[in-house]
Amino acid sequence: MGRIKDSFERAKNQESKTLITYYVAGDNNLNFSKKVFLKLLSYADIIEIGVPFSDPMAEGSVIQRSHERALSSDITFKKILSLVNKLRVHNQDKPIVLMGYMNNFLSQGESLFKKIKNAGVDGLIIVDLPYEESEFFYNKLKDIDLDLIRLISPTTPKKTIEKIVKFSSGFLYYVSFRGVTGAKLSNFKEVQDNVKYIKSKTKLPVVVGFGIKEGEIAQKMSKISDGVVIGSRLIDIVQQNNFRLNDSLKFLEKSLKKFRRDVRKK
Amino acid sequence: MTNKTNNYNYPDKNGRFGSFGGRYVSETLISALEELESLYKKIKNDKKFQEELTNDLQTFVGRPSPLYFAKRWTDKLNGAKVFLKREDLNHTGAHKINNTVGQVLLAKKMGKKRIIAETGAGQHGVATAAVCARHGIECIIFMGSEDIERQAQNVYRMKLMGAEVCPVSSGTSTLKDAMNEAMRDWVSYIDDTHYIIGSVAGPHPYPMIVRDFNSIVGTELKKQSKILFGKYPDKIVACVGGGSNAMGIFYPFIKDKEVDLIGVEAAGSGLSSGKHAAPLSDGSPGVLHGMKTYLMQNSDGQILGTHSVSAGLDYPGVGPEHSFLKDMGRVHYEAATDKEALKAFHDLSRVEGIMPALETSHALAWVSKNAKKLKKSDIVVVNLSGRGDKDMQSVAKADGINF
Ligand SMILES: Cc1ncc(COP(=O)(O)O)c(C=O)c1O
Repeated sequence: MGRIKDSFERAKNQESKTLITYYVAGDNNLNFSKKVFLKLLSYADIIEIGVPFSDPMAEGSVIQRSHERALSSDITFKKILSLVNKLRVHNQDKPIVLMGYMNNFLSQGESLFKKIKNAGVDGLIIVDLPYEESEFFYNKLKDIDLDLIRLISPTTPKKTIEKIVKFSSGFLYYVSFRGVTGAKLSNFKEVQDNVKYIKSKTKLPVVVGFGIKEGEIAQKMSKISDGVVIGSRLIDIVQQNNFRLNDSLKFLEKSLKKFRRDVRKK
Repeated sequence: MTNKTNNYNYPDKNGRFGSFGGRYVSETLISALEELESLYKKIKNDKKFQEELTNDLQTFVGRPSPLYFAKRWTDKLNGAKVFLKREDLNHTGAHKINNTVGQVLLAKKMGKKRIIAETGAGQHGVATAAVCARHGIECIIFMGSEDIERQAQNVYRMKLMGAEVCPVSSGTSTLKDAMNEAMRDWVSYIDDTHYIIGSVAGPHPYPMIVRDFNSIVGTELKKQSKILFGKYPDKIVACVGGGSNAMGIFYPFIKDKEVDLIGVEAAGSGLSSGKHAAPLSDGSPGVLHGMKTYLMQNSDGQILGTHSVSAGLDYPGVGPEHSFLKDMGRVHYEAATDKEALKAFHDLSRVEGIMPALETSHALAWVSKNAKKLKKSDIVVVNLSGRGDKDMQSVAKADGINF
């Protein structure tokens, strides 16, 4: 459980909250996404690599289209692992987390765990992982020193939160609203109360994601939590630049620098 | 198999049918699914609820549906005696309404103000629109843009009954994508919305609830066949898309091992062509739409595009209980091609004056192929799940006719 834990420590020592980014492997092709991830690695504390799925049930339209583009560029699980491998050549410190849907992970069978470990992955977020199976995944990942990061939402009952944190490691991911990725945040007070409650039940860091697009919201959210996840916004930027590599990287850098400042403690 | 069928009591407390089923959804949906499950358990055996449901089934849907002897078709096939369970005579023209009249009552009990549903052929959409109109509840139907084109009349029917039809153009623009979009909507409006899933698919408790509401078909058939034949049928045949009409007619017979149960999937252009919608015949277990079940997928777990002449069978998954019954060997699953289904459609129309839905025509195609191999004294019942009025355009197109 090295890299994820260290990254939260490091952020703390730098008087900052943790900045986590999400981008989809293979959007708009493998090499393009590799360049994006390298850029993200130099500004974010943790990077989430989205594993594209044909039926991404929890995503809003921006990330859906991203998954579609990645799949039409013939991305495979194998290629994603070799991408992680290549990223690890450039960066050995920052955590890399795979975020995706159950069916893509299941399709790898039992060899999944060894494969992701060897590639240099630090943890998994499985959007549609049910409780009954979280213990299995938690233990499997724990055996090889990887983290199982779980989601908690505004509709999660308090009793359930205690069950979820039991089989979680690395950090907890609080979904800021009832909705799909990319929608608009609506109820700040609710986020604040729920994050506070979760923190009273676990020693793990709690980060907030979904709907964080503007620096102002990132700032607000990072004040009440241990970090924020930026996803749709980054894909928006690349889209707005029509997938021209240099322009995309330039505007990503600009945006990341700003988010970096926004999550710094005042 | 014997032991398992004797004690058949599924799903288990985790919503599993053996290893199938379950609840693979975003965390946001879990509490709504739990609420639905606990309400359903509470009122399932409530006398007042049952009375209300029975009244709606009789006076709004028109139940019981008749069991009809297809005499001229039987003569033509020159084999087993063929009977049709006439779900096509239900209000709105298919078995789908058995489920929606029940679920709308659940929605009202939960105080939900808004109902959403996905639809493929449009039959479930129409059945949902009808119950929402009857109860004065807002209704939104998600439908793939390709299906909107294939089933234009049903789209108009939904609109006439006050439903809003939302085109879905992500992924393959068909039923599976409409279901994804309905789930996304549900996550976003979870507090005041009930999602009426249209088949025995999706996360627990849907496969159980939809099966239970549709099993009125099998329960009636039990009574009718005792009176008509003095015994249960030898074989019961139903088409399988998500599997609700099949589950509805099979379920009451699962413990009656002398009754053969046959589910017929859509073989599209042929199983070997890869262009089909037959996950039980040519798929593998995986997770989609909140359930573990047989799916059409590649080795990386990406869901494959499907093909069938009938929009209602054009789905890459199947209800988890069917996956369980297949592995257990209690139900036999076969498949019929577009061509075979179209031929059965024409045969039944000409010989019996009954135009079946293209979905149903797949079950009829199995009977065409196999009746001759059976004893003349054998009794085969086909679940005539719906009428073919909605398919005029597709059939004409296949026949090279333009209106
Ligand atoms: C008449 C009819 N039969 C069958 C089906 C397939 O659904 P299921 O397998 O859930 O019965 C449909 C779906 O639209 C239908 O309209």
